[in-house]
Amino acid sequence: MRVTAENKAATRRRILLTARRLFSARGFETVSTRDIAESADIATGTLFNYFPTKEALLACLVSAAMDESQRDFRRHPIEAESAEEELFAFIAAGLRALKPLRKHLTFVFQTWIKPPTDSPDEVTRTVRVSHLETVRQIAAKHNLPEPSPAALHLFWMLHIGVLAFWSNDGSPKQQDTVALLDDSLSMFVGWLQQHPEAGAQRP
Amino acid sequence: MLLSLAELMGALPRTDDACENDVLEPAVSVRTGPIPIGRWRRLHLLGMLPAQIFAAYLFYWLRGWLHDAERKEQLLVETHWRVALQLLDSMGYLRGAVMKVGQTLANFPDIVPQGFVETLESLHFSAPPMHWSLLREMVHGELGDDPDHIFASFNKRAFSAASLGQVHQATLPCGKKVAVKIQYPAIARSVQDDFRNLLLLLLPARLGGDWENIKNQLDDLRRRIERESNYLLEARTLIAARSLFRDDDGIVIPRVYRQHSTRRVLTMERLEGVHLPEFLVADPSQDVRDAYGRKIVRVCCRLLYAGRLLYGDVHPGNFIFMKDGRLGVIDFGFAMPMDEALWALFWKLEPAMAGGRREDRIAAVKLWNGIGDDPADADRLQLCDEFTEWIWQPRSQAVAFDFGNEGEFRRGIKIFLSMMSNRYTRAQPCTPTMARQEFGLRSMLYRLKSRVDVAAIVNEEAAAAGKSSAGGAATGQSLN
Repeated sequence: MRVTAENKAATRRRILLTARRLFSARGFETVSTRDIAESADIATGTLFNYFPTKEALLACLVSAAMDESQRDFRRHPIEAESAEEELFAFIAAGLRALKPLRKHLTFVFQTWIKPPTDSPDEVTRTVRVSHLETVRQIAAKHNLPEPSPAALHLFWMLHIGVLAFWSNDGSPKQQDTVALLDDSLSMFVGWLQQHPEAGAQRP
Repeated sequence: MLLSLAELMGALPRTDDACENDVLEPAVSVRTGPIPIGRWRRLHLLGMLPAQIFAAYLFYWLRGWLHDAERKEQLLVETHWRVALQLLDSMGYLRGAVMKVGQTLANFPDIVPQGFVETLESLHFSAPPMHWSLLREMVHGELGDDPDHIFASFNKRAFSAASLGQVHQATLPCGKKVAVKIQYPAIARSVQDDFRNLLLLLLPARLGGDWENIKNQLDDLRRRIERESNYLLEARTLIAARSLFRDDDGIVIPRVYRQHSTRRVLTMERLEGVHLPEFLVADPSQDVRDAYGRKIVRVCCRLLYAGRLLYGDVHPGNFIFMKDGRLGVIDFGFAMPMDEALWALFWKLEPAMAGGRREDRIAAVKLWNGIGDDPADADRLQLCDEFTEWIWQPRSQAVAFDFGNEGEFRRGIKIFLSMMSNRYTRAQPCTPTMARQEFGLRSMLYRLKSRVDVAAIVNEEAAAAGKSSAGGAATGQSLN
């Protein structure tokens, strides 16, 4: 039987949904690729046609959640009084989307920390580019100096740092992460304002 | 019109001296940031504060060498203002326990200049900058959805600052107008850090004889502020306190909406009215002042006698003067339930309070402050007795006490300052809470210029609670 592109997409979606459900219920480490394949009603070998490793599957889930939250954020822009506030809303939207995967995020940081050129998959690269483009637009909206590539890389690392803290945050309702994020964004925006050399001046 | 800190600081006379600019710059640069949650960063900011204040006064002293007395007075005022603004600046930023200290300071008009007090007053009312996105996350985390979805309307701009959070006006789906108090993120931990830092900064005091006592008092204060960080406990206290008042008391404790309240979000009925400074602007008649004064005293007495609660947060930000003459009391986070031991001790002291006999008072002072018969403690005993006499005076006299008597008010502050400068701080651990209540009460009634028959109110309340207070006859206890 010939596998159509449509079938492929449906299978891929089924694997992702199944994996997300199993990771949330039982944890990333205790769920095997065989468990996922069985639950998705496919052969284990078939799963590897779509995702070479369990980590790649998780990375894809994370990227998809972030991608969705970014689109949602752009569809519903907020009326923020400051760049800090809007950046906060942007990152917070991502945290909400990633919440079911929060405790498993540590397994994808290695992929995210790599420079974009070394990034193994297209989805992760796209999410990063899209994420930083939103940051650039927010900076422009609030008349901040346009962030240079170095400043944007710094923001990406800051973002990963917050996610890393969040994934292990034991405080009630993860409110330490909320405070840390507020603090981090204030630091980033302050740094951008005080060091215009970190960004190319707007015309 | 309430100016912003930046505007106030900008309006102050500037100086060319670089050293003063150095003093002011760090506070200006950190002013608008979020809460510093790292313990060491908070310690740095807290430690920086006394240094800045010291430097500002040092600058004044140095400049004083070069000016005549009149100019010197002017410079002192300027320095007071700068220090006041700086303190406000740092406290507004650090919030938590430090803001509590600021609110307490505002009750001591003679320790600090009037300008200082007026500036500090804005601590009670001005809204700190927890921006909307952050606030929305806090509400979402606590109530499970965005404020826009939970409430029929929600004002994004805070209308009041609480020491551990900020308050927003909102309307419930059923149409009830409410005030929603939302806690700052991670503030409970930062309060703990503040106290640990405070203990570090007080290290030199460990060598003093009263260190254990000071530490116990700080521990007591820490426990109370930690308790304040749990809004469910406050909700419980509000519900209990509300049940103590009837319509004809003219005193309103707001209703709690439990389904919209958690440990970090508290939704209460919104009371419409004004705070003390705005109330005084209208220059109310003496009768109106007296009526409100009686209500304030009755609130404290009812909570004490019928509710076994010490209302430790008597300051203008927590009382609402309502249009129909009723008094609203809105914050019970710092209300302290009295345990059996404290309750028993209180009733042991009550006859001395009511009777006004010096020997009873001396015995009470010895008991409360842990003073024995050592002749070396004579000065301590005398000052503590003077202070106690000042506190109990309105209670022990049979006629209305004039709280607006400036000389009398200043006398108490002077005695208190002497006690502090002599480090006579040894007392029951709950003393800071009780002192907050007492000074807060005296300060508010002084500013109201109220005349109140305190003894009559106490006797009514004690009798209603099943305790006769006159001369302590019902308790049958004597301290001697």
